[in-house]
Formats: sequence, C-alpha cells, structure tokens
Amino acid sequence: MKRRMTALLVLLSAWVSVAQATTQEDVNTFTLDNGMKIMVLEDSSIPNANMYLFWKVGSRNEVPGITGISHFFEHMMFNGSKKYGPKMFDRTMEAAGGANNAYTTEDITVYTDWFPANALETIFDLEADRIANLDIDPEMVESERGVVQSERTTGLENSNWRTIQEEVKGVAFRAHPYSWSVIGHESDIAAWSLEDLQQYHKTYYAPNNAVVVIAGDVNVAEVKKLAKQYFGVIPAQTPPQAVRTVEPLQKGERRVFVEKASVSTPNVMLAYHVPSTKHEDYYALDLLNTIFSEGNSSRLYQGLVDKQVASNVVSYLPLSFDPNLFYFLGVANAGVDAEQLEVNMIAEINRISTEGVTQQELEKVKNIKLMNFYRTMQTINGRANTLGRYELYFGSYDKLFSAPEAYNKVTIEDIQRVAQTYLRKANRTVGVLAATEGADL
Amino acid sequence: MMSLAGFTSKRTLTAMALACSLALTGCASTTGTSKTVDTGSFSMPQYESMTLDNGLKVNFMVQSEVPIININAVVRAGAVNDTTSGVSYMTAKSLLLGAGGKSKAEIEQTIDFLGASLKTASGRESSQIDADFMSKDLDTVLAIMQDVLMSPDFDSAEFEKLRQREIVGLSQAKESPRAVIGRYYTKMVFGQHPYANPTTGNSVSLAEINIAQLRAFHKSYYQPSNMAINVVGDFDPAQMKAKLTQAFGRWQGTEKAVQPDLSQGLPSLNASRVLLVDKPDAIETTFVFGGLGIRRDNPDYVGLTVVNTILGGRFTSWLNDELRVNAGLTYGARSGFNPFSDSGVFQVSTFTKTSTTKEAMDLALKTYARLWEQGIDQQTLDSAKAYVKGQYPPKFETGGQLAELMADMYIYKFDDSFINEFQAKVDGLTLEDTQRLISTYFPQDNLQFVLIGNAAKVADIAKEYGEVTQINMTDVGFGQ
Repeated sequence: MKRRMTALLVLLSAWVSVAQATTQEDVNTFTLDNGMKIMVLEDSSIPNANMYLFWKVGSRNEVPGITGISHFFEHMMFNGSKKYGPKMFDRTMEAAGGANNAYTTEDITVYTDWFPANALETIFDLEADRIANLDIDPEMVESERGVVQSERTTGLENSNWRTIQEEVKGVAFRAHPYSWSVIGHESDIAAWSLEDLQQYHKTYYAPNNAVVVIAGDVNVAEVKKLAKQYFGVIPAQTPPQAVRTVEPLQKGERRVFVEKASVSTPNVMLAYHVPSTKHEDYYALDLLNTIFSEGNSSRLYQGLVDKQVASNVVSYLPLSFDPNLFYFLGVANAGVDAEQLEVNMIAEINRISTEGVTQQELEKVKNIKLMNFYRTMQTINGRANTLGRYELYFGSYDKLFSAPEAYNKVTIEDIQRVAQTYLRKANRTVGVLAATEGADL
Repeated sequence: MMSLAGFTSKRTLTAMALACSLALTGCASTTGTSKTVDTGSFSMPQYESMTLDNGLKVNFMVQSEVPIININAVVRAGAVNDTTSGVSYMTAKSLLLGAGGKSKAEIEQTIDFLGASLKTASGRESSQIDADFMSKDLDTVLAIMQDVLMSPDFDSAEFEKLRQREIVGLSQAKESPRAVIGRYYTKMVFGQHPYANPTTGNSVSLAEINIAQLRAFHKSYYQPSNMAINVVGDFDPAQMKAKLTQAFGRWQGTEKAVQPDLSQGLPSLNASRVLLVDKPDAIETTFVFGGLGIRRDNPDYVGLTVVNTILGGRFTSWLNDELRVNAGLTYGARSGFNPFSDSGVFQVSTFTKTSTTKEAMDLALKTYARLWEQGIDQQTLDSAKAYVKGQYPPKFETGGQLAELMADMYIYKFDDSFINEFQAKVDGLTLEDTQRLISTYFPQDNLQFVLIGNAAKVADIAKEYGEVTQINMTDVGFGQ
C-alpha cells in the first residue's frame, strides 16, 4: 500500500508533509552491535526491493601510488569470496532475479542491489560473504586491471567533462587527495599489489564503516532478523584514520590547457573552491547552483546559450565530505573562441556577486528543488539513495526532513553573499579544452 | 487510496527453497528439468481510456504516491516522415519557440517557476511532448501544452538561433563515438529506406530546412486523429476528463495524415560490409556488428528478450563475461534488438583500446557464434528467465515511465496483454524454443560492421570482416 501524500500549496508545508510521512511511517532505523547502521523503508507498490550499502571510503582516502584503488576495489568486491567464488556473486544474484551495480566517488563507495523481494535472504547471504570473507584472486586482479583501464580510456574518449575535469582537479588541489580523479592515474592502476588490496578491505570494509538502506516490498521485522543473522556476526574493526590534509588557501587564479584534436569547439571549465556539504553555506550554494543552470530560464542559459555564445553550459556542486569545487562547464558555439567563452562565462557568474538575484528567482529554485524531491521519491531506488546520502554527507538522515526549512531560510542576500565569498578570481581554476593550443610566436 | 491496483506480492517460495534452487552445486538440476523462480506477480496498473469526437485518444492512470502529474502527447510522425532530413526533429524542437501569444522566454519562465518540466522529442516513428509538474499547477501547464501542440508560432528569429545551435551540436556529438555510432549503423543497415533517416538530420539538411516546411509538417501530422495523450499521476479522473475535453475537444484536424508503408523496400543484406569511420585522435575503437532485427509486434519478442539476456543483456551475459571478465579487453560488451513498427535492428556492441581491436572483434564474433555452435543450457535459461522477470516491475514504477509505456502502446499498437502476459510468456519458454529463436532471428551471415577509431591503425584489420567503406568522422551526416 503506497502512502498517499497530500498536495499542499505552500512549499514548506508540502515538503514537510512528504518528509513527515516518510519519517513517521516509513523509515525504520536500527544499529547492529558491530556498529552497522541499517535503515528500512516498506513500500509494496511493486514486488521488488533494493539494498544499498554505503561505505565511507573513496578517492579521498588514497595516497599517491594507490590512486584509484577505492574504485578498483569496488570492482574487486564482485570477484570472489569464500562461499561465492569468482563470478558467483553476479551469477547467484541474477539467477534469483536480481541485478546490481556500484559506484565510487571522491568520498564514498556505494553498492546497489535490485531484486524481487523474494530474493531478500539470498542478497543478505551474498553481501555478508563478500564483506566478511573477500578472497582476492590474483588472476581476477589482472583481468580487472584491463577492465578499469578500459573504463578510464572510454571516459576520456567519449567525455569532454572527464577529460578536462581530471586536469582541473590536479591544478585546483595541490595537497588534498581530491587532486586526482576517482579512477586514478594510469600507472597506479597497473601497479597496485595484492597486499594493497587486502589492506584496503580490512581497513575500510568493516561493518562500523557502513550504512545500509533497504527499501521496497519487505517487512521490517524480517529485515531486522536477517540483518542480525548475516551482518551482525561480522566483527567491527578499528575505525580508519582520518584524512588529515587540508588544502591550502588558493591565492591567485590557476590555469590549465588540454589539447584534443577532435574537439570541434572549445570547452571552458571554471572551478571555485567551496566548503564541504556540512558547512552552513551549503544550502545557499546549492540554490545558487540551481539559479545558474537549471532550466532554460536559468542565468547561464539566458546569458550564454540564448545569446549564441555557448551551445551548452552546466554547473555542478558535488556533495562532499571535505571542501571541494563548484564547477562550471561551457561549450562554445560555432565561431566563438575559448577566450570569448571564458570572458562571457565569468561575466555571467560575477553578475550575481555585483547585482544579486531577484526574489522571484529564489522562489523559482525552491519550487524546482521541491519538484526534484518528488521526482526522486517516486522510486524505491530514489528513496534508498537519498536517505543514504543524507546520512553520510549531512551527518544524519534526519537532515532530509529539516532540509525544506534550511532551504526556506535562505534569502536573496545569502545568495549574493556566497557568490561574493566563493566565486572570486583568486579562488578559481580555469581549464580550457580545445583542438589546438597554438604555437609560440 | 490504493494507487496501484493489480500489484500484489506473493511469497509462496520459501527462502530455503529459493536458496536451494540457486545453489550451483548440490541441488542444481542435472536432469534438464526447468526450475521457475517466483519473482512476485506484476500486471498493468488500472487506467481509463476515452476517445474524443475528433479522434484524439486519451488515457488516464491515477498514481497518488507523490502530488505530481506526468502528461505526454505522442504523435505518429518521426524521421520516417522526413522529406528533408531533420524536419520532424526541428518541428518538435520548434514547438517550444513560442506559442499562443507567449514567447519562448515567457513559456520557459512560467514552466521553470513552477519547478515543472516541458520537453519535446522526435524519434524514428513518433514525436512527443512531455511535461511533469505539481498537481496544483495542472491548469497553467495544460494551457501551455495546448498552445504548444495546437498553435505553435514557429518564430523565425528563434528558429535561426535553434538551427545554428543544432548544427554545432551535431559536430559536438561526433566528439563521442558512443553517442553517434547507432546513427551510422542504422543508416548502414537500412540504406535508402526511411528507417535509415537519422533522427537528428545532418549539418547540411538542417541548414536547408525552412519555417514553411515546419508549418506543413505540423499541419500534416500534429492533429487529433494522429495522436494520443497519456496522463499519469495524482488527479481526480472526472475533473481531468473535463479539462482535457475542454482543452482539446474543439481541435479540428485537416486531411488524414498520410503514412509511408514501411514494410516496403526493406533491405536485403547479402554481403558483409564494414563502415570504418576515421577519428584520427581516437585512443580506442568503438564497434558494433549485426543486421536486421524484429518488428515490435513480433510474437517472439519476449522470448528474444530472454535469449538476448543470455547473449548480451546482463552482466553475466556471454559477451560481457568473455570480453570483460575473462579477457579484460573492455569495460562492457552487450547486444540487443531494437524493434521498430515494421522492421528493426540487432547489434552486438563494445569498445576496446586501439591496440586490441582485432582481439576484441574476434572474441565478440566467436562468442556470438556460440548461439549456433553450443546453444543454451537449462540452468542458464532458468537464470535468464528469473532475471528478466525480476527486473521487469521497476521499469514501470514512476508516472513518467507509465506514461511512456502508454505512448509506446499507441505507436507500436500493443495492449495491456503484453504486460499482463509477460511473466507467463517468460515462464513458458523452453530450450527448444530458444533453438528456434536463434535459427530464425539472430543474423548469422552477411554481418554489417561499423568501427569508429583511428583508421591509420585499424584499416587493415577492418578488411578482414567485409568490404570496407572508409569515411571521416567529420564528413557530413552518418554515412551513405
């Protein structure tokens, strides 16, 4: 039985009504003795369920020499453990009607299982086995290196974003591990050892370093029983060491150029240092990001695409454990060079620092936020992913329910203030991707 | 309020029995008898339909989980109706350039302010307008949809700007082999048939299109007897009926839309051919091969979904297992049927670094040949059936997905029975059936290949697979 959520006219009460419905009726949380936190949402609208396992490990936990190992490790988690040997994780899950995937970011690694609800116990058994008893097969390591090299290559072949972002990060961060891409350096992918991988599993894949969300056609009592039976017996480990490095303050614009012959019109990426998701400015920055690039009435569309300067512009503010970057990427229209595009992008960004935004723009992006929230909460996957991300990035899933209030508190003055604070030249890295750099005169 | 009548969950299989049926040793069947995995039952959610006096079909499905509504209007017109390549595409795009006295910017501001979305798209055989919005904003969005559908302005200044962006967009799309290889492949398989028409046009044809052509295309195809409107979400059905009748009931069509007979002039592929698209700075080769596929109304469609799952439709498929897991040659390899109304394509697709092009192509072909040389065993078939059934319900979970399903039902002329009989059809598939499906439908000879990569390094390899035509990635269009 799906819950019916009443549409209310006021943003705040509408969002809160959804959130409360979800909080009071749907979200059940418990923590196992070994520190593994589990959240359950019952929803029987389709005869399916999912299990999302969030691990607090990403490329920020790496050091030079093992860059990309968090992501590689994500691959190795599918390659054999004590009970289910190489290939058997996927084969067993698919034979039960389930599918899976996983993704790695700068901060976290997330494993996603989607299955008919009947297969719940099989999924618990599969996950518990690879958490407790991963058995890293040297032959699988070698073939997986090729897989990850191909993943890296195909990203660079097909994605301008990936090609330029890798270089921009390397320049914007000179100390913090956000300096390298999540996939890592090519030479590191080729070089890590079995011992590196074993150590990584022991350090980070401990139940006390995980949050698990299960949503769908399940019953809380049964989930609790299975969680205790399968996950509860896995011992906790000493928590991993904190990431110590703090990126030094940037004191002047930095630049990087990337040549790629097949690029038809130049791409310009601008990246500004911003604080982490837990910082009080996050909500204003997030709304500012929406003002910049969501919809054709957005600042960047109106100021660049509609004026035929760019054919496409996006902005991106990642959720982040540590201070990170606020990204802008513009793709030049025909006949517009990189310099013109850059100047125009910067002018459009700076206009908010100098002139601010209107009350109507702020109302608009709050409505966009609410609508996006509804879109996400339509699926059991959207619910599981959102709850887990709030738990990890905001410190508690409860923050999902105070988010509407936090967004509503943001004023047009706040928007202008965060633009002035962070979107400054000295705090900026500029990346240009184009067919030719041109020779020295 | 029960919003998804028809979904029930049966827990008839105990976890122990399930675990046993999945274990690979001990209780795996050795007698060749089929084991069915219960993935819960699934059927089409309830909905209502009506046809207005002017022939417009309307479907309503109430889904009250969140207070939003999805509406699409689907028109039977796409690239197959193009006189100049890209007319259908540019017509759909241009609907949003101003309508009913509201400028492009006014429409965008109104839609964005509500947090809503309004998009248009044009494919091979259909064009579509999609909107989603909060239920409370129905009147505002419906009024805009009505204007956009019935009385677009086709503003010439905005059209020039759009055209220019679309032309540069085509060059930018060609920076990503993955984004465009399908357009080259479909063109190669269908040659001069309308199914070959690239849905986005090409840089020369877009430059030729004029406003008069858009108006003519709109007049010919965007009319009530040639389209359907699908509404899914949180609304009162009686109210919605009244509002839609008021919005679209007085719309009068012109002469009947003329549709090409797409069953005529289909190609016969009687030789293996290779299209080599040169991208000199490529660091990998992106390739597909295959041939003609099936029509959407083919009674074996569901069975082929299961067989293709084994070949290249899931992570443990033969292709992905061989090329990725065993050989480490690629991040992924897959295959699939892409059905149209009167024909279709089938392709195997993957990518690999330039230096392993030959190795990957040979391994993909060798793995594909297993269909005929080895065939499928009972255990793999049982697993694929469970997988296909288990992954089916989430395809129809959101209002947008359900509205899209109803749009497909209109264009491809299938009904609820397709959804409601899906599980039984999967369950009923036997090993003998798979042999028949393989010999009947999978292209075995005269394969068509497209390679996008560094021709200087792979041209000699390309020759081994058929007669080669080499073009540049930057040449106009998507091959001849």
